[in-house]
Amino acid sequence: MKKSVGILGIFGLLVTIVLITAILEPSFTTPYNIQNTIRWTSLFGIISIGAAFVIITGGIDLSVGSVVGLVGVLLPMLLVKLGWSIPLALLAVLVVSLAIGLLHGLLITKMRLQPFVVTLCGLLFYRGFARWLTGDQTQGFGNSFDGLRQIAIGRIPITDSFGIPMPFVVLVVLAILAGIFLNYTIWGRYLLALGRNEEAARYSGINTERMIIVAYVIGALTAGIGGILFSLDVNSVQPAVHGNFYELYAIAAAVLGGCSLRGGEGTILGVIIGAAVMRVLYNAINILGIPTQLEFAIIGAVILLGVMADELVKRINEKRKRMEMQAASESV
Amino acid sequence: MFRKIFFILVLAVASYTVAGCAGESTSEEKITVGYVTNGISDFWVIAEKGAQDGADSMGVNVTVQMPPEGTSDQKRMIQDLLARGIDGIAVSPIDPANQGDILNEIARNTRYITHDSDAPDTDREVYIGMDNYTAGRMCGKLVKEALPDGGEVMIFVGRLGQLNADQRRQGVIDELLDRSFDPERRDPNAGPIVGDKYTILDTRTDQFDFARAKSQAEDAIAKYPEMDAMVGLFGYNPPKCLEAVKEAGKEGQIKIIAFDEEDDTLQGIKDGLMQGTIVQNPYRYGFESVRVLSSLARGDESVIPANKFIDIPARSITAENVDEFWTELKALRGE
Repeated sequence: MKKSVGILGIFGLLVTIVLITAILEPSFTTPYNIQNTIRWTSLFGIISIGAAFVIITGGIDLSVGSVVGLVGVLLPMLLVKLGWSIPLALLAVLVVSLAIGLLHGLLITKMRLQPFVVTLCGLLFYRGFARWLTGDQTQGFGNSFDGLRQIAIGRIPITDSFGIPMPFVVLVVLAILAGIFLNYTIWGRYLLALGRNEEAARYSGINTERMIIVAYVIGALTAGIGGILFSLDVNSVQPAVHGNFYELYAIAAAVLGGCSLRGGEGTILGVIIGAAVMRVLYNAINILGIPTQLEFAIIGAVILLGVMADELVKRINEKRKRMEMQAASESV
Repeated sequence: MFRKIFFILVLAVASYTVAGCAGESTSEEKITVGYVTNGISDFWVIAEKGAQDGADSMGVNVTVQMPPEGTSDQKRMIQDLLARGIDGIAVSPIDPANQGDILNEIARNTRYITHDSDAPDTDREVYIGMDNYTAGRMCGKLVKEALPDGGEVMIFVGRLGQLNADQRRQGVIDELLDRSFDPERRDPNAGPIVGDKYTILDTRTDQFDFARAKSQAEDAIAKYPEMDAMVGLFGYNPPKCLEAVKEAGKEGQIKIIAFDEEDDTLQGIKDGLMQGTIVQNPYRYGFESVRVLSSLARGDESVIPANKFIDIPARSITAENVDEFWTELKALRGE
């Protein structure tokens, strides 16, 4: 019950932004624009799912943007410069991101380092490594690999002018898997439990260390998948800036979507709606012709208002519940 | 234990550096100059090659620094170079109007010149580069060739407020509106500018985020489906415009006019999907900067012309000369 209220708040915010923009500027609702916005939402939604898993354990992953950057330069390097086959190159970059997640998880659980420190160092290291690897030169697929690029820029045609962007399909598959994992498997319940109270979870026999490692692996893996799609989408990847700040977008989407930074709370659908709010805002700012310089100010303000409204709704609900319970106990 | 290892490491590094310095100073005090860019891109990689070749031909060392994070990074890099006692620095200032302090700090400590983008109000000894306003007007001429009957144009650029971006943009606008030649003129940064034949719908900036550059091109197509042309003022902008135009299926309907020599841009011109591009000569920027700085360091002041401007003129590349230019470029890149 509490969960659905959380989603309702953020969903309301999304609908409000969409309606206001559509009324002010009809070109917002053209199939072309909707298609683009869905594609960007999907790309950011994918990395946000992983960020949510980490946040649910009460941790944080600041290395997402740098992993997106590293994978983004590795993929074109392996394919174009080294001439690896597509499956091998994809497998290689996924293994790299998996290894990164495993490393984070091990450092945090076995060496008891703080997640903030571990992933902050990751943010710096992977960025620096990607820049060194490429000598700061832009990596790209050129005019080749059009077939592979379809998983990022392709679409499943519905009408002449509208199709479902391929990244959305990837997002839906990942979201369903993540949703099942979080809500319908025992490991998902463990994750939520340890996020609420790690000690209590450990004393009740949950292998909390293993679960935390799993969360960081999922986080890095989705960052890797996102990294693949981002690089295929933009085609040219600048090692120094590609993916910069994406960890903050992912964290913002997760928090907007109802994940508590204290851990133990969060839904996959909420996170995706959170990512959608961010992308629709970016899109609306351009479509409405608001000066780009105001971009961050508007996004910051709207997110803050959204979170404030959400908190108010939660409090009113709790108050009502308490009063109902009080009334019930009095009538007994 | 940890402390011990750390101490040994520090000792090793220190002795290595000392040995390195000693080794050099025995041969002769070799001149070292600094070459500071305004960011990181392929453009600067070519300039770096020019700077290295310049250093080889002059018998000096050059340290090339590319600041990834804007003005604060650039300042830090300049200060680090000064701390090393460098013999001269060439800078492409990111924000000349507000970087006066750090730029004049170079002038107080060593020889200071600008390249690529000028800071005329500081104590630089010479500016090496093209006149960005003239280049902007050349770009405007390409727009006119693409749209002889007039039309609606959108401008995309990484960042406004740095002189080269502002001047290029102004050059394009002034040419399209058939205004007089005045590099000092400034139109407001956002919103439409309407002329008799041509309208500049808006100027969007992306802070060098490629993904955002692409999404802004898409948003522009969504907002102005009848738009006639897109102008990309920084090298990576035009390929992102082309991606967006291709995905929207508007090839040919929306003309693209470019700056710089990205491979995708040159390919776009070859394929007839882009009208043309205005190219600078980053190799010469690097080469000339190092040549001038090392001459100054040796006390040769004759390298500075009276007007304090060494012109490396821009060129207009269209379908006619793209092949020839590309071959020349590949040779420079060592491909």
